[in-house]
This record gives sequence, structure tokens and C-alpha cells, in this order.
Amino acid sequence: MESGKFVIAAQEAEAMAKTAGVAALKELLPLLVSTAQRLARPPISNYPVGAVGLGTSGRIFLGVNLEFPGLPLNHSVHAEQFLVANAAAQGEAGISCIAVSSFPCGHCRQFLQEIRGAGEIQILVTSDEDAAFRPLSSLLPHRFGPFDLLHKGIPLLLEPHDNDLGSVESAVIAGGGQEVYEGIEKEGIQQRLRAAAGAAAKASHAPYSGCAAGFAVADGEGRVYAGSYMESAAYNPSLGPVQAAMVGYVAACGGVGGEYRGWGIFAAALVEKEAAAVSHEGTARIFLEAVAPGAHLNVYRFRSSATV
Amino acid sequence: MEEKPARLTGGRFLIQAEEAEAMAEEAGVAAVTELLPLLVPAAQRLARPPISNYRVGAVGLGTSGRIFLGANLEFPGLPLNHSVHAEQFLVANAAAHGETGIRCIAVSTVPCGHCRQFLQEIRGSAEIQILVTSDEEPAFRPLASLLPLPFGPPDLLHKGVPLLLEPHDNALGATVVPGGGGGRGLSDAIGEGGMEQRLRAAAEAAARASHAPYSGCAAGFAVADVDERVYAGSYLESAAYNPSLGPVQAAMVAWVAAGGGGEDGGWGIVAATLVEEEAAVVSHEGTARIFLEAVAPGVHLKAYRLRSSKAD
Repeated sequence: MESGKFVIAAQEAEAMAKTAGVAALKELLPLLVSTAQRLARPPISNYPVGAVGLGTSGRIFLGVNLEFPGLPLNHSVHAEQFLVANAAAQGEAGISCIAVSSFPCGHCRQFLQEIRGAGEIQILVTSDEDAAFRPLSSLLPHRFGPFDLLHKGIPLLLEPHDNDLGSVESAVIAGGGQEVYEGIEKEGIQQRLRAAAGAAAKASHAPYSGCAAGFAVADGEGRVYAGSYMESAAYNPSLGPVQAAMVGYVAACGGVGGEYRGWGIFAAALVEKEAAAVSHEGTARIFLEAVAPGAHLNVYRFRSSATV
Repeated sequence: MEEKPARLTGGRFLIQAEEAEAMAEEAGVAAVTELLPLLVPAAQRLARPPISNYRVGAVGLGTSGRIFLGANLEFPGLPLNHSVHAEQFLVANAAAHGETGIRCIAVSTVPCGHCRQFLQEIRGSAEIQILVTSDEEPAFRPLASLLPLPFGPPDLLHKGVPLLLEPHDNALGATVVPGGGGGRGLSDAIGEGGMEQRLRAAAEAAARASHAPYSGCAAGFAVADVDERVYAGSYLESAAYNPSLGPVQAAMVAWVAAGGGGEDGGWGIVAATLVEEEAAVVSHEGTARIFLEAVAPGVHLKAYRLRSSKAD
């Protein structure tokens, strides 16, 4: 399998399973975990985690952990969260099984509760002596989850969301120099960043706060990567839109990372609700200061009366 | 009968061992452990969750026999990972009071995975007894039953490294590295007013006591109210990284636990000080700034970055 590939189409997955001589796609997952681990970027812990998930579409999604020096640890992305954010960005409707290199921590066991039928997701840990698939419900019994807070019928994670963003207010410009700003203006990158972050906000999962949000980053080649906010019923395990965008970035190009200064991020855009109870503006600024100093950030605030 | 013990807590977050015994007797329960669920409603009333309006109260029994309360805190205008869960509050509260172990916890809602993970930082966490008062048949069960096959400190640390609630005395550098945003030299700090000195001393002491064995980045934060009372909190790291309790949050725990807080639900913070290591791979300076912007606009953060040769 070529390195840097974070999504495997269903047909290719079937072919790989045949080549590997396994009877079911599920059995292919643990065989791909070490490949995933090699794509991880954990410069703080140097503890790479790889996760491989099978979507209900038959596609396979990879996830790896990401860590960002100079920031608090809650900016980190766990491999299981990466996998889910990756799947969500690809429009995957469900995850049936996940193979992972270490036991999922409580934070991830909680984050996974956002998926409908979470209890039945099969989890296999390759470092386990008796590595076998077991249901998530056995790893987080007597769970706290979406239905402790939401009415049934509200879309859960991986289900279609189409949040009403109302009217988007004019941009607030923060960070970056005038040159950078003019540069991105010229290339139309600002427009594309705004559109991508807006689309990500529309697709975001924020039923607890009602605060849809999306974030997009552009690299030096003018390519744009976006991510949607994904809220957790337990609040703290939520995946911020900035982190979701980094997942999109790493998943798309294997991750421009340490080799390039500032992750190669040139500009970014945040779309979120005006006067949001949950706002990502400050955290996006400090993220860019640490990870891509000099990158230009535009913040767009929308006014919406609809709840998410 | 259930209301009486709750009223006796009088808004306090710590009950000394003798008083806990007396309360248990008065409530007619055989053991102090049975008193815990009766105090959960009192803890819930102390919660400040303006985003969810979902109050969680937690009541824990320390190995010293003292009872600690915890309540959830939420901060509008910030990302949700600035929130403090009741169980984390309880543990941070206990740690700040030098408690060395937690035997049981009664809580109003079943602990989420984030908290079940955070609790792993305590030695012997598997045996911590947890009771959920909202259960149909509330009963104490071991934490191991709520988080089987855990990921935790033993996965990353050598035996012998102090765990949460065990004494920490992190070596902090003596040299304050001047820098932008309020860092200053040692001699300048000495010339500061009394309150600033106390803030710095409190944040430093909190940093020395902080639990950061994974990153090696000790950190402490202190805030002062309009009466110049100082509250400080230590960074409490989690093996799973994301559930870590930041020093800012730990300081807010200390503030609430001491009965602080402005009127009308405002916080009334007048000054804030962070002590952490220079060029720390885990730095709280930026997050402390955005926290203050949202919670105490106009308050300038003083950040002391210490140069240290020894990691935690």
C-alpha cells in the first residue's frame, strides 16, 4: 500500500483482502495498522498511534495521532478521532469496525459515542495479547452519550447535517502581513477558504451548543483543506474545526509536516456563529501562532436563528 | 432526611473528617461512604454550567476521611475543552488540599469517558468506588468496571514516577526569561506590589506541585479577585493528553471551591499570573490569554517563563 493514503476505496479494499488471503474485509484492518502508525505525527510523545476503520460503504479509513508543540495538549488529535473526522469528511455514513494500535483511551471511547449504534462498533487492539474484535459497549459500559442530552431524531455524527448559517457577516481580519493578505487576495484563495470553511460549518455536528463551525487552511500551492466542528455530548472530547481541518490536510497529502516550516500553512479561514457560546476564534489564533506563525486568518461570523 | 446533610455543607467544597463522621451519624447512615450520595444535590447546586445548564455534582471521600465536593464549570465564548467536569473539579480540589487518595465518589450523572480516563491518573484508580445517584438502583461499583482494559499511566511511565495526588516537587528554573506579553526579570518582579508578588508565589508553588510526567512541563496559574484574594491551580496532566486539566482551569476550581466568584455570575478576576517553563512543548500562555479575554476582558496576563535544566 502506498504511503500517505488515508482512504481506500471499497473495490481496492476487497482486492487487498483477497491478496492478503483474508476471508472478510474486517480481517484486513489489523494488517494495515502498522502502516497507519508510520503516518502519525506525535512530536511531543513520540508515541505513534494508528487506527484503521471500515465504513458501512466498504471503504477503509485510516487515522493517526497528531500533536502540536507549543500548545496545550487538548489541541492533540487522537487516531480514532482522525479516522472518524476523515470518514465524516468523505461522507461516510457509518463505521462498523476499527483496528487500532493501542487501547482507545476514555476520551476516544467517549467521542465515538456520537456515532449512531456506537455500542456495536467492533474494536480490535493490535497490541492486545488476545487481539480480537469486541464491541465498544464492552469498553465503555453504562455510557454517557448523545441521548442523555438530545431528543431522538436529531442527526448524529456521520449523518447528514445542513446547518443554517443565515447571513455571513463581513470578515474580521487578523494576523499575517499586508503582503500575505494581498497575495491571497490575488489568487482568490481567500474566497476559496471562505467557501470551504462555510461548507464545513454547514456540515458540522454541534447539537449541544448549536454553534456550527468550520475551518479551512491553504498551503503554499493554493490548495485548500477544510474541517467541520464535531461536538461530543461530554463537551471536552469535542474535535475543534481547526483540528478537523488539520485532519483534512494530513489525510489529503500525507501531511506536510516537520519538513516544512509552519506545516506549509499560508492562510486560514474560520466560519462560526456570531457571539457564539462556543467560539473557536481565540483558539484558532493561538493554534496558528504556534503552528504557522505569519499565516493569515480571516474570521467570518454568521448570524443564524436556526438551531443546529 | 436527604435534605438535611445537604444543607449542612453550606456551600462548602471541603468537609473535615471529624465533621464528616458527625454528619454521617446525624444522617443515620452506618458509614461515611453512605453519606456521599446524600450530599450530591448540594454539589449540583454549586455547579456553574451556563452553556448546557446541565448541573453535575460529585462528592468524594479521601483516604484522610475528608470529603471533597466537585461541580461542573463552563465558560461561554471559549471552546468546550475549557470546561471542567465535576469529577475533575473534585480531584483538583482534593489535590490542592494535599489529599493523597480518593476511595469513593458519588456523582449525579454517570461519568463520561473523559473523566473515567482522567481518574486513571490516581494510583489504584481501578478500585475507586463510583456511585451514580441517577441510576435506578444506585450502588458503588469499581472504576475498573466503567473503564475496562484502560489506557493509563503504566502504558507510558516507569514505575516509581509520582502519580496524581502523590507529592510532587518539580524543579523550576530560577531565571525568569523576559519576553513579550508580560514576562519580566526577577528584580522587576520583586519591585512589584504585594498582590503581584503573591500571585507569582502562588503560581510558582502550584507549578512545583503540578503533575506533568508526560510532557515534563510543570505549570501553575493564579488569579486574584477584587479583594486581592489569590487562588492558584496546578496543571494536572493525563496519560491520554486531551483530558488533562489546564492550570487555568485548576485555578478556577480553587476560586470556586473557596467560594469566590463575582455577582451576577461574573467572575470578578482582577489579575492573573502564569508560571511555566520557557519554550515549553506544552505551553498554556496562549490559552490563558484567550481564557481571560472571554472571562475577564481587560485583565492583562503576566506570564513568567522559567529557565530550568531539569524536566519533571
